[in-house]
Amino acid sequence: MRRVAIGMIFPLAVTALWELAAWAGAVSGDSFSRPVLVAAALVAAVADGTLLRQTAETFVSAIIGLAIATVLAVAAGAVLGLSRTLERLTVLTVEALRPIPSVALIPVALLIFGFGQNMTGSVVAFACFWPILIVTISSVRGIDPRLIEVGRMMGLPLAKRIRKLALPAALPGIMVGIRIAAGIAIVVAVTVEIAANPRGLGHGMIVAQQSLHPDLMWATLLWLGLVGWIANWGLLRLERRWLRWFWAQREA
Amino acid sequence: MSAGAPPVLAARGVSLAFGTPPAARTILSDLAFEVPEREFVCIVGPSGCGKTTLLRVLAGLLPASAGEAHFQGRRVAAPQPDIAIIFQDYGRALLPWRTVAGNVALAFEARGIPKSEHAVRSAPLLAKMRLAEHADKFPAELSGGMQQRVQIARCLAQEPRVLLMDEPFGALDAITRQTLQDEFARLCESEHRTVLFVTHDLEEAIYLGDRVIALAANPGRIVEIIDVDLPRPRRQLETREDYRFLEYRHRLFQHLGHE
Ligand SMILES: Nc1ncnc2c1ncn2[C@@H]1O[C@H](COP(=O)(O)OP(=O)(O)OP(=O)(O)O)[C@@H](O)[C@H]1O
Ligand SMILES: [Mg+2]
Repeated sequence: MRRVAIGMIFPLAVTALWELAAWAGAVSGDSFSRPVLVAAALVAAVADGTLLRQTAETFVSAIIGLAIATVLAVAAGAVLGLSRTLERLTVLTVEALRPIPSVALIPVALLIFGFGQNMTGSVVAFACFWPILIVTISSVRGIDPRLIEVGRMMGLPLAKRIRKLALPAALPGIMVGIRIAAGIAIVVAVTVEIAANPRGLGHGMIVAQQSLHPDLMWATLLWLGLVGWIANWGLLRLERRWLRWFWAQREA
Repeated sequence: MSAGAPPVLAARGVSLAFGTPPAARTILSDLAFEVPEREFVCIVGPSGCGKTTLLRVLAGLLPASAGEAHFQGRRVAAPQPDIAIIFQDYGRALLPWRTVAGNVALAFEARGIPKSEHAVRSAPLLAKMRLAEHADKFPAELSGGMQQRVQIARCLAQEPRVLLMDEPFGALDAITRQTLQDEFARLCESEHRTVLFVTHDLEEAIYLGDRVIALAANPGRIVEIIDVDLPRPRRQLETREDYRFLEYRHRLFQHLGHE
């Protein structure tokens, strides 16, 4: 509680300063609005459901993209992490594709999927794929070969050695990659909505800005920060649960 | 030792070198011995003489440079579930994300035993290893001795024909180690298990073994084979004070004592 109280001092002070500055005319109401109006717009937008609908649209796209990226990148990363030959075969391709800005794929995704969640989702998936892939490769490569030998001695076939031994052993590392990718997913989803896709929170901000509603624009931005923070907190909780053994080991 | 039947495990002129020819280092040199059914054979040798390397060759994890490892008369080319190995470093051999019961169940999963039977099958093994009340703990929550017992339970769940053990009690304190020695010796006696047991402690080798094979280092080679004639069950005090025990100890010490 005390930590929350101390943590609130700074944002409250900034809000108060913002309100004062708006009153004194130091910042323009047309672009900065005022905290009181922003709060009112936030309450109204939540109450009439637009903000929640937009949030659902943005997050469904982000989660679809993140889920696709996770499945593909973990599978590919496990194989590339275990096979030096395959890794050498693909390293150049990976290094060539990875620097492509995901936003540059918007026109391509538009052509393939048209407007809608699949278009945003596919761009998100591209952006999230790389960090998960790279973290998975290095985590799988870093696992203790002794664990794989345990599986071989018992007669576990390769597919089961990957599923039952390599992937769980690499999971703590993979989860770090997924958490990094989750942050990227939201950024990219909102970016795609601002740039091209007429749906979700990103599009909501553009509409608010173009219809001269700075209060709603700021309200959406604050909301986005809040929801993103909750999502990250939830992921951390899930990770703590799934990786109970990992933390037990750390504490021992 | 029924006549005619091949020994469970055999080293037939096993040699092993690490590295490529000009810079190759011979670790094992022309080892030949047999482990007959139901016998407890110990291998004793100084640190670095190639004991772990030898077990890895017999387990099929490492190909020999020359000679062959045989299991029931057939060459061991790859790991097989009839041969189980208990690794020297139990901390690395357990799955830290699985509980004690889960670690044992891995062996059942490998054998294709349906999940519904896992609990019934692992209960007697855990009881035997005195782990029953720890079934739901993670390895990190166990002492070293308990972790080693989990590894043993998991290997027994594999139902192998032969157990290879690599200094299984080497990292434990003296009291835990004596307790585990007795428990394990009793288990092997009552179940007539075939065991190849590696240690660098020659007293442990005599205490547990029906036969002791002594290795010397650089390169690893057999310098002595002793048939241990001591009554079973062995007892920590009486057995170790038996004049034959002391005589064996004396003989082995000559080979191993002056490293
Ligand atoms: N992969 C490897 N490559 C090169 N040399 C190795 C390798 N593994 C082991 N050696 C060498 O082989 C020798 C025997 O090693 P090994 O682990 O078999 O000894 P050990 O008898 O089990 O010793 P300890 O009692 O300390 O466990 C050592 O000199 C070691 O340096
Ligand atoms: Mg060793």
